[in-house]
Amino acid sequence: MAGKSGRTINNVPESSAKRMILSWEGILVLVLIGVNIFCAFFSDVYNVANLLRQMPYYLAEMFLMIIMAYILVLGEIDISVGATVCLCATVSCIVCNAGAPFIVVILATLVTGTLCGALNALILTIFTELPPMIVTLATQIIFRGIAEIVLGSGGSISASNTQGFKLLSTKVNLGFGKVPIILFLVLIVGIIFAIVLGKSTFGRRVYAIGTNRLAAHYSGIHVQKIRFIIYTMMGTAAAICALFYVSSSYGANTTTGNGYEMDAIAMAVFGGISSTGGKGNLAGGILSAFAIVCLRVGLGQKNVHAQVVLLIVGALLVAAVALPNIIGSLRRAVKKS
Amino acid sequence: MKKTLIGAAVAGLMVLGTAATAFAGSADGMKIALVGKSAGNAFFEIAASSFVEAAEAEGATVDVVYPEAATADAQIKVLDNLISQAPDAICISANDVNALQAKLEEAMDAGIKVSSFDSAPNPDSRQIFINQAGTKAVGQALMDAVCDLAGGEGQWAILSATSQAANQNAWIAVMEDLAANDEKYANLEEVPIAYGDDEPQKSTDQTQALLDNYPDLKVICAPTTVGIAAAAKLLQDSGSAVKLTGLGLPSEMKEYTGADDAHSCPYFYLWDMQGLGKLSALTTIALVNGDITGALDETFTAGDLGEYTITEADDGGTEVVLGLPLEFNEENIEEMAKLY
Repeated sequence: MAGKSGRTINNVPESSAKRMILSWEGILVLVLIGVNIFCAFFSDVYNVANLLRQMPYYLAEMFLMIIMAYILVLGEIDISVGATVCLCATVSCIVCNAGAPFIVVILATLVTGTLCGALNALILTIFTELPPMIVTLATQIIFRGIAEIVLGSGGSISASNTQGFKLLSTKVNLGFGKVPIILFLVLIVGIIFAIVLGKSTFGRRVYAIGTNRLAAHYSGIHVQKIRFIIYTMMGTAAAICALFYVSSSYGANTTTGNGYEMDAIAMAVFGGISSTGGKGNLAGGILSAFAIVCLRVGLGQKNVHAQVVLLIVGALLVAAVALPNIIGSLRRAVKKS
Repeated sequence: MKKTLIGAAVAGLMVLGTAATAFAGSADGMKIALVGKSAGNAFFEIAASSFVEAAEAEGATVDVVYPEAATADAQIKVLDNLISQAPDAICISANDVNALQAKLEEAMDAGIKVSSFDSAPNPDSRQIFINQAGTKAVGQALMDAVCDLAGGEGQWAILSATSQAANQNAWIAVMEDLAANDEKYANLEEVPIAYGDDEPQKSTDQTQALLDNYPDLKVICAPTTVGIAAAAKLLQDSGSAVKLTGLGLPSEMKEYTGADDAHSCPYFYLWDMQGLGKLSALTTIALVNGDITGALDETFTAGDLGEYTITEADDGGTEVVLGLPLEFNEENIEEMAKLY
């Protein structure tokens, strides 16, 4: 864990079996099991096959959560990603309809997303005092505005050649069900980024910036370089999300990606990643994302009113944010007595 | 590190493990899912409740499902849920023409019949569309109304929504085609179209401009609910002799509808949402029962609504057309104003 200076930046306490069960990730594992048991009893069509079939649409949002976790650990926020998804999805349809081969469609989409992310990164690293919330609110309006202008009065576009997009929604039959490739991809990407965030020098620097940006700067960390990289990656993640979005809807419209940024933030925060920076890890984010996906699928299958589902997810989120504080004060109370 | 991996692996196993224990269900009778555009649209709910009533009378159960927002994305999630539930049929009012194709095709591949009403997804996404009234029928009804109110001759005007409004332009095209080619309307003279942009104030101003510019004007036809209401108020308040017809909402037109000179609008038209709901239910049931497949020229009997033939829709798919738009006059306006 030692950096070049020989100093150690490590805020993860040594783990023991007891700690692991009591940790937020431990609780999330229980929550995930609980959610699945609940759903299995609640909905009579909640089974592996249906879960795997309904998952991809939500999994696309997990790509956003993975990088959003980095931004939250930085103690910052990016609310422009939903609009970036919209713009990327629009671009992918336009390029596809222009008759380009699918690899070009993918590249064009990735470039668009990365450029959007880089624009955020550029503004935020040149004017370091600007609050990310306001900057990304502005770019959110800009990105969605561009998409709306491109989409024109009809407000929607559909991909004329769906052959390539169908590749992205390919499913692999593993005996117990047809597993969508996006599940493998999101798990692989999630695990890689979890390791980078939790174990690499780069990751530790992200925590250092999130804990105390000034201290990190004085300790020789290139704060702005790291911020630039992360915000740019956020744009790339939005492009990947957009590609999978188009693979399930074969098109884009002006409402595409609405609220995705909030879904991504919710998944991360429920996973114990503090929005004030420096706390939490991606394992928690991934576990919570699956718990939320399972819950939404299970409740949806019984046609629970959509607003009620959102309400339940919202209530869980409040509980997730409040619970560590409650446990903390309880522990202190127990120690005192 | 280990913790992370173990955590992820355990979670993965749990998802799959616990999910596998879920029990399968069985359904008695026909199950139909009705998917709306969004919750809280009173106009749509008239059709939905009529759909449910008609389907339940035939012994089917209907789930009316609304997406969390009026977007295609939200409807995709709803369709995902419905495919899991495997109802016998899905009848949908689509939020987007093309975006639902992948999901609706998946539903059809899973053996679910897909019908649509109110707002159609593209022809590949559905087996049949239930249309209230074809563009031609609306244009014909409006043109006949104009001719009738004008007494067969004289100047008439159109007060439309915006110049790009697709629906209005389609109806106007039919009307102008009839006016130009049918002998019956030869003595009618159309003045240039006025556009009220579906704004009450602008519609009022444009109506006033029509009255000022064409003193001999006999009839105004407003194929838009905003326009007709604005024009009705102006004509009635100013005591103009110009008569009004078009497409409007009974609740907004109640005080202006009547055959005497004290009222500005003798009669007007609107979708028959009740009839549409009922025909949609019966068509969907016929689809599930295999009486029809949604192919061109098939015929079926829709209860007491009578016999229907499947025709070609404007978008190249197939549709069933309920019939003429519903006429509202002084006899039924009170009753209908409570509904619409």
